[in-house]
Parts: sequence; structure tokens; C-alpha cells
Amino acid sequence: MKLLNGEIISNERYSEYLYKMVIFSPYICREARPGQFVNIRCAPEGIYDPLLRRPFSIFDIEEKFNVFSILYSVKGRGTEFMSHLEKGDLIDFIGPLGNYIDLAGTKNNVLLIGGGIGIAPLYLLAKQAVVMKKNVFFAAGFKDKSYQKWEDDLIELKIDYTIYTEDGSIGSKGMICDYIRSNIKLFNGYDVYCCGPKEMLKTIQNIYTKSSNRVSVLLEEKMACGVGVCNGCVVKVKHVKGEFRYKRICKDGPTFDIREVIFD
Amino acid sequence: MTDKQNSLFVFIEENNNDINLSVNIGKIHLENPVIMCSGTFGYGEEYGQFYNTALLGAVTTKSYSLKPEKGNPPPRICETPAGLLNSIGLQNDGIDCFIKKHFPEAERRGIKLILSLFGSDMDEFSELAYKVSEIKDKIVAIELNLSCPNVKEGGIAFSSVPADIKKIVRSVKRILKIPVIAKLSPNQHNLIEAAVAAEKGGAEAISIINTVVGMSVDIETFKPRLANVTGGLSGPAIKPIALAKVYSLAKEKILPVIGMGGIFSVEDALEFLIAGASAVGIGTANFIKYDIGVTIIDGLREYLKRRKIHDINEIIGRLEV
Repeated sequence: MKLLNGEIISNERYSEYLYKMVIFSPYICREARPGQFVNIRCAPEGIYDPLLRRPFSIFDIEEKFNVFSILYSVKGRGTEFMSHLEKGDLIDFIGPLGNYIDLAGTKNNVLLIGGGIGIAPLYLLAKQAVVMKKNVFFAAGFKDKSYQKWEDDLIELKIDYTIYTEDGSIGSKGMICDYIRSNIKLFNGYDVYCCGPKEMLKTIQNIYTKSSNRVSVLLEEKMACGVGVCNGCVVKVKHVKGEFRYKRICKDGPTFDIREVIFD
Repeated sequence: MTDKQNSLFVFIEENNNDINLSVNIGKIHLENPVIMCSGTFGYGEEYGQFYNTALLGAVTTKSYSLKPEKGNPPPRICETPAGLLNSIGLQNDGIDCFIKKHFPEAERRGIKLILSLFGSDMDEFSELAYKVSEIKDKIVAIELNLSCPNVKEGGIAFSSVPADIKKIVRSVKRILKIPVIAKLSPNQHNLIEAAVAAEKGGAEAISIINTVVGMSVDIETFKPRLANVTGGLSGPAIKPIALAKVYSLAKEKILPVIGMGGIFSVEDALEFLIAGASAVGIGTANFIKYDIGVTIIDGLREYLKRRKIHDINEIIGRLEV
């Protein structure tokens, strides 16, 4: 990991709150792998409000152009600041952070389940799986059509996918977890990776309680340091003898076996 | 001599121009007054990827207790205007793990360590001190965390009483016979009394301030933003509070003061030194500016050079009121 300043190549608005920022960084392109993230400073130099950096999954890497991108939804002051940055501006970030997902030696069939902005880290994983000639299925669920433009990115990967929206504005109407539950047999023998809102992850954990599939979950939490020193971004996980302990999402994760996670 | 040679000569001369950054905090000698605060820096392993952490005046470890501590449930952190609220709850692997695993790594990196200890009663502090005996000659000092706002037992509840502070400092000092620093809270009203008690117990210095008790509420869910309800506030938001506390304590000349609270730049660090701090602690800034430690050391040197001051000690406590 390195502390870096990257030039913004584009900061495209996908929908009202959704943006894709493309950043020039040969270092990240060379070093980063699926599942990792960058911690971005969301205020100008010398300004300490908002104070903390914000973690973003690496959404895509285009080695040919030495650029990587993040997909972000404007939710607070940090992302609001980012949404106003323009092509040519410099952005201060550190990365790549967190453990990467190693697809080597895993099953040939991969099921990705993303809810809302949770699709962001799964996209790079899908891309990697395609390079490794794995059979990938992407199941994505959203509230509405705000992720419609993202479908164009997905189409480029030439993989099978399904999209569900709560209001039916794109894809099928309904919840993505219901689709998974009804089609669980279709995905027998798949390695599963999921990322999204906590309620969705809890449901997936229930769905896969008794199955033998390997199910990994990518978690997020409010973060301070991003490098493992502050113990701020912890998740409760099972420990020996029915006990629990806390693991750091930034340093021990962000990917965990879904069966070890305790969602309160 | 050509111009090029001449400029090279000047460059060398400037660097040899001894600017002294070393300070003595009682019997504690540091090469420079920049200390990393407890719980914000690990053991130099993570930050060692950004710069040589052996260059720092010292690094204070997270607070260790006798047994591993799980810490508080999440959410543990919450951002507030120019501030960070935390309720980590002293999560740590326990002192044995520190001595076996983390200490050798810090030693290998040449880091000057201040070991922070936390006990929930007098006996725990003593037991911790006995455990530390085997490495005591390899660390700079012990810092006693007598002021964590995030633990119900111990911490501020029991150790903010001046009589207890004196006893704890005395027992640890008696066992280890190395410098002991008492970390005190801005939340207690009797800061001067507490410092006097620490001095009577044999402390070498006082670290202030620990975080300021604070809270934040989510108006949509009606829930506190921290699972622990309240937490400790740090960051630029608390800097003026910290500075005033450092000033008020340092002028009493009870013990040397290590000043901390919201230091994010060399200018901030200088304010603390001028107000009377013998050294400064950098905490939350490490989360945002990963190379802040060396930036401040370099900045202090530049400042002294610009002001034609040869020794950092010439500015300490020189506030003109």
C-alpha cells in the first residue's frame, strides 16, 4: 500500500446519486486485486471537516490505460465533496487496502450476489473470474432504476446475470434474495460471493445455512484508519466454545466466510 | 569553486547546522518531541510502510490489560464536525501477547516504545508491571491509562480519584523502576490535584488530554450513533480544549507535560510546545495523514531554521501572556 495522489480521468454521473470516478494510478493497477479497497480523503488539503477518509471498493481496473475506478453513491458530506471533483483534479488516497479474493483453486462456477452499492467490489471479481474462464452468474438487486447505467458495464463482461428491483423499474420486480432462494438448486456447486445491505446478507446467510456451498461475504463498516490500528471497523464473528470475538473489516477482511459472521 | 560546488557546500553546511530537536521529559530523553498516541499507531508495522518509524521521538502502544479484551460492540466510531467519536473499549490481545508477539517486531524496527497499561483495579496494574519486568530495560517508559472514557469498570471511574492515582503510579514505579507517565483526562474536574497525586506517586510526566466524553444521535432512528451511547471525542474539534488544559497544567510546573489533542499540523504542534508541553502526542491525525509523524518532525526543524532558533527547548513554555 502507498499514499498516493491520482489524477481524476472522469467523474461520471450514473444517476441522481450514483457516480463512477476513474482515477489514473499505474500503482493501483499493478498491485490491486478484487476485494481490495482504497481510502480516500474527502476534503481539500488543510480542511478537516469532514475529517475521516472514506473507504471505497475498487470497482474496475483497466490496465491498458493505467486507470482504476470506484462506484459511489452520494450519501453524506464526503461523497458530496467527491461528486464535485472534476477531470484533472487530484485525489488523495491510500491503497490497495484489505485482503484480496484469490480465485485460484476455487470452483469453476461463481455466483455473485450484489445489493445496491454492494455490486461495486463484485464487478472486478466478475471480471477476474471471466479472465480465468470461470462460469459467472451475477445476481443484482436494487431499489429502483438508479443502477440502470451500470447494466451497460455488466453487459461488457458477457456473463449471465439477472437484475431485480423493488419497484420493477428495471429487470424483474422483487427482491434478489427471493430469486436466490427459489433457484438455490440452480447454483449447487457454485462458490458464492455477496455484498450489500446487512438485511440482505442476513437473508443470504439463512438461505445457505445448510448448504455445502462456500459463501463469502464482503463487509463494510464506518472506518477510521483503514490499516488495522484503530479497531474501529469491527464485525462480530464466531470464536471457539460458543464465544465470539471482533475482527477488523479493514485488516482481517473485508471478505469473510458468511458462516463465521454474527449479524446482530 | 563553481556555482554548483558552492551550492552543494551551502547545502551541507545547512544540514550540519545543528538544530536540536531533542527534549528531556524528566528523565525521559527523546531525540525529538513527536510521540504517537496510544491506540492510533499500532507498533509501527502498518505505518512502517509509509516512513521509517524509528525516526519518531517515541511510539505509545495501545493500552494493554492483563487478559485480552474484546472491546465494545460496533458501531464504535462516528464522525462529528472536525472530530471523531470512538468507543473502542480498549480492545487488546493482552500483555502476554504484546510481550511475545508485538514487542519483538517493534524492537526489530528500532522503535522507541512507551508501553501503555490499563488495569481495572490496583492489583491488575501491579500484575501488569510484574509481567513487563522482562522488557523494562528495552522501553522508554510506561504510560498508565488512567482516563479511558469508554470502559465502565476501571479507567476513569476508579482511577480519576487522586488518591488512587498516587497509589497506582507508586506501585508500578516501585516494581519497574523506569519512568512512568500518567495519562489524565480532560473530563475530570481536579486535573491539578490528579497531577499532584501522580507526582507524589513518582510519575515522570503527565500526558493530557485523553479524549473528551461526547455523543451523537441519529434523528431518524432515535438511536445513539455509538453502540456504547457515549464515546471519546478526538481530532481538531478538541484542540483548543487540549491546549488550554496543557497550558493550565504546565504553568503549575508540577511535572513535565506531554500535550496532545487534535494536533494535525506542525503549527498545531508548535502551539502546544509554546504553551508549555515538553513533547507532543499525535493521535487521530495518523488516520487521515499517514505520514504526519515525519511531516511534523521536518516541519519543526524548518520552523526553527526559519526563526534562527537552534534548540527546540528555547520555545517550550515561552508563551507570552
